[in-house]
Amino acid sequence: MPDKFTATNAASSGIELERKTLKELCRRSDRPGLVYLAQWALALLASGCGVYLALGTAWVWPAMLIHGAILSVPAYAMSHETAHGTAFRTRWLNELVLWITSLIYFEEPLHRRYTHTNHHTYTWHVGKDSQMPFDTPMTFGAWLAEVSGFALLHFHLTTLLRLASGRYTQVMREVVAADEFPRLRRNALIFIAVYAGIALAITLGASFPWWFLVLPWLLGRPVMLLFTLIQHVEMAENAPSILDSTRSFQSSPIASFLYLNMENHVEHHLYPQVPFYALPELHRAIKDQLPATDPGFWRTNLEVLSVVLRRSLGRNTRARSIRQAAHMITDGGFQKLSLRSMK
Amino acid sequence: MSDRWIDACAADDIEEEDVLGFDHDNRAYCIYRTPDGYFASDGICTHEDERLEDGIVIDNVIECPLHQGRFDVRTGEALSAPVCVNLQTYPVRVENGRVYLGLPAAE
Repeated sequence: MPDKFTATNAASSGIELERKTLKELCRRSDRPGLVYLAQWALALLASGCGVYLALGTAWVWPAMLIHGAILSVPAYAMSHETAHGTAFRTRWLNELVLWITSLIYFEEPLHRRYTHTNHHTYTWHVGKDSQMPFDTPMTFGAWLAEVSGFALLHFHLTTLLRLASGRYTQVMREVVAADEFPRLRRNALIFIAVYAGIALAITLGASFPWWFLVLPWLLGRPVMLLFTLIQHVEMAENAPSILDSTRSFQSSPIASFLYLNMENHVEHHLYPQVPFYALPELHRAIKDQLPATDPGFWRTNLEVLSVVLRRSLGRNTRARSIRQAAHMITDGGFQKLSLRSMK
Repeated sequence: MSDRWIDACAADDIEEEDVLGFDHDNRAYCIYRTPDGYFASDGICTHEDERLEDGIVIDNVIECPLHQGRFDVRTGEALSAPVCVNLQTYPVRVENGRVYLGLPAAE
């Protein structure tokens, strides 16, 4: 890795925040995370009741979609937050929740932490960022592979099998400390054993995990991926400034809850040490230095879909209102700039 | 035993549970004030080239601002991934309201 590379964060983006304010925002507490876990558990209980009541009817599918979104989006978001170690002040609690939520997210926790570490150092830098999930500029085919969940499921499955069998990729060797591989391998074997246990239970006739876990998980993953897709899609590769590589978007209270306030994604990349419960306050503290926040979750996603469709059809790719890097906007035709690193 | 005691800062330059960066002979150091007292270490994270003075102190732990790797400032022990290599620590003396950093004799 080049010696002179400056990590992508507030300093590389020219954003300033008084240390006293930053220190206040970074203050750690167990309470918000524990309250969140309790609210998440209640929401899962309620959506699980919805699935139970709908069993045997066609309503079971929308019920499982809702239950799956409530399962998958917070599991992703909490796994991400605990990978940073910012969710709880108490370390063992943070690591326990990282394990459980990573189990739901389907990624070995240390692999998650190390690749995400790399993602923050080299945010959206081609050939360096180990968490680029799709080729850029994005086409409709790549959008389908991403949002359906197939691309991520393939990546997670192959990653688990590689870690469990000790067949480490070049990317893994670059981002994970060499001494840590035995732990990653052990964890991957435990994960596979848990998943195999669930599969065995279903094979032997247990219907609970099928209707309340596996099918909702599969249905909820696309919702989760719509959240993660808009973090960086259509933004600039290889930019030192987070303002150019990353997108924040407006959000409803429900979406903010599911996503742990991570719609403030620019703010998170600028100051990753700020815990999820302080992100809205961080936004208020630096908003004068930031570009305008993109529109809400649905509108941003619809505009992205429109752009990738038009790109695949060889038409103009200017979005109506979301931010785009200049080179993403063409009158037809495009040049592939990067291949996904998550494969 | 330290051979050189360097005047780093005033004791009250650092708030409780905080860190102050200090450069000496082209090398970065950090002075910490924790509930257990004053401590000192190298100023750059052992994981990547990031200054720890921009990090936050939680009890006796310094958290790197870039990747949230953590070290025990009393011993330099690397506590959690992504940091795996311990941080070099140095003795500290507080006298007459000044914090002194103990360094080995210059080579």
